Amino acid sequence: MIRIGRRAWAAFFLAYVLGIIWAAPARAKTIQIDDSGSEALEPSVGMRWKSATPSHSSADNLMIGATTIRVRLNVTPWLRRSGRIYLNLPAQPPGPIALSWLTQGRLQAGQVQSGGRMLVYAGPITTPFMEDTLTFRFGVDGRLIQHAFPVNFHFEMDED
Amino acid sequence: MHGLPSPGLWVLPHDRNRLRRLAIGAALFGLQSPAVSAYTATLTPASPRMVYPQVGVGSFTANYLDGGKPGNNTAINTVSVTVAPGAVGTGVAQAMKSDSTAANSFLDGYAFCNLPGQVYIGGFYRTTGGATAAALVTATVPAALTNAAGNTIPFSKIGWTSSGNGDTGSEPFPSGTFVSGGVQNVGSMPSNTWNESCWAFSYLNNTVPPAGTFTGVVRYTLSSP
Repeated sequence: MIRIGRRAWAAFFLAYVLGIIWAAPARAKTIQIDDSGSEALEPSVGMRWKSATPSHSSADNLMIGATTIRVRLNVTPWLRRSGRIYLNLPAQPPGPIALSWLTQGRLQAGQVQSGGRMLVYAGPITTPFMEDTLTFRFGVDGRLIQHAFPVNFHFEMDED
Repeated sequence: MHGLPSPGLWVLPHDRNRLRRLAIGAALFGLQSPAVSAYTATLTPASPRMVYPQVGVGSFTANYLDGGKPGNNTAINTVSVTVAPGAVGTGVAQAMKSDSTAANSFLDGYAFCNLPGQVYIGGFYRTTGGATAAALVTATVPAALTNAAGNTIPFSKIGWTSSGNGDTGSEPFPSGTFVSGGVQNVGSMPSNTWNESCWAFSYLNNTVPPAGTFTGVVRYTLSSP
């Protein structure tokens, strides 16, 4: 029978926890950014047909809609360091979603398909918050839409 | 619109000792979730349903492929034929002519119908969602054409053949004959497709009515599910 004393258990537990902690930075290079200071200017995004008229072959069924968000990213944890900030649009119902955005210049304009992410900033973090006003434009196949539905996306940091 | 932030390890300064303390605390009291403050944008279909029927002339700001948008057109086109005295009632169908000027498809400007012998009929039914029932096109038909003296010719004496330049296969608005009074289906439009045909009307000419000018009005209606 093997007996393990309290101290040994404590050491084991501490080593186990520390193992998790020390291993974490190596795997978790990408961290979601606190953007709770952001503000959406419209409560919902009205989607309309990109083309009022369908094509002969039912191939043009894109619905589009735009909204503006004052983005305020809390990058305090990376102050005086360098990093890359991405906009991440996870894959989600009801199906493929296209997202493009324009900025006022602090962040980069870009576009992304659901399931992907796009770089919006790379370089030194010199201020606790990064702010910009982004105009987002969504695109979804109208045949996938039955009712109003939520679309989730977020900003994340890749640490250098 | 915006999720509430929750505390998590992301706020930790990169100080090893402090990181360790807080991490152990997390292990003992239950792991806190990392910072979650994703945006949630609610996408709402606005005016998701649109219909555009066209029988005869219609209105578009430009061809669809050039970014055109549909408009309203209240014109009523006339289809007519004058039967020569010696031909009345012979059973030889008399081709009718239209005053419609709609020969080209508003889809792409293609010369789809031949004037004046054909009448363009087409349009679309826009809706969100996947498999939906087709929109129906019906004709509301009077019992008969009438002349000034009150004589009549049953509307069932008028029929049409359907085609379209370059078309193959079945037509969305197939050939048919009017009923003598009532509402009849004349075609359908699957959702989110452009549908069009050209109709060539003819008077069957198999009876001998009194002389005169006989007229009647048929109204076409597009009904979406």
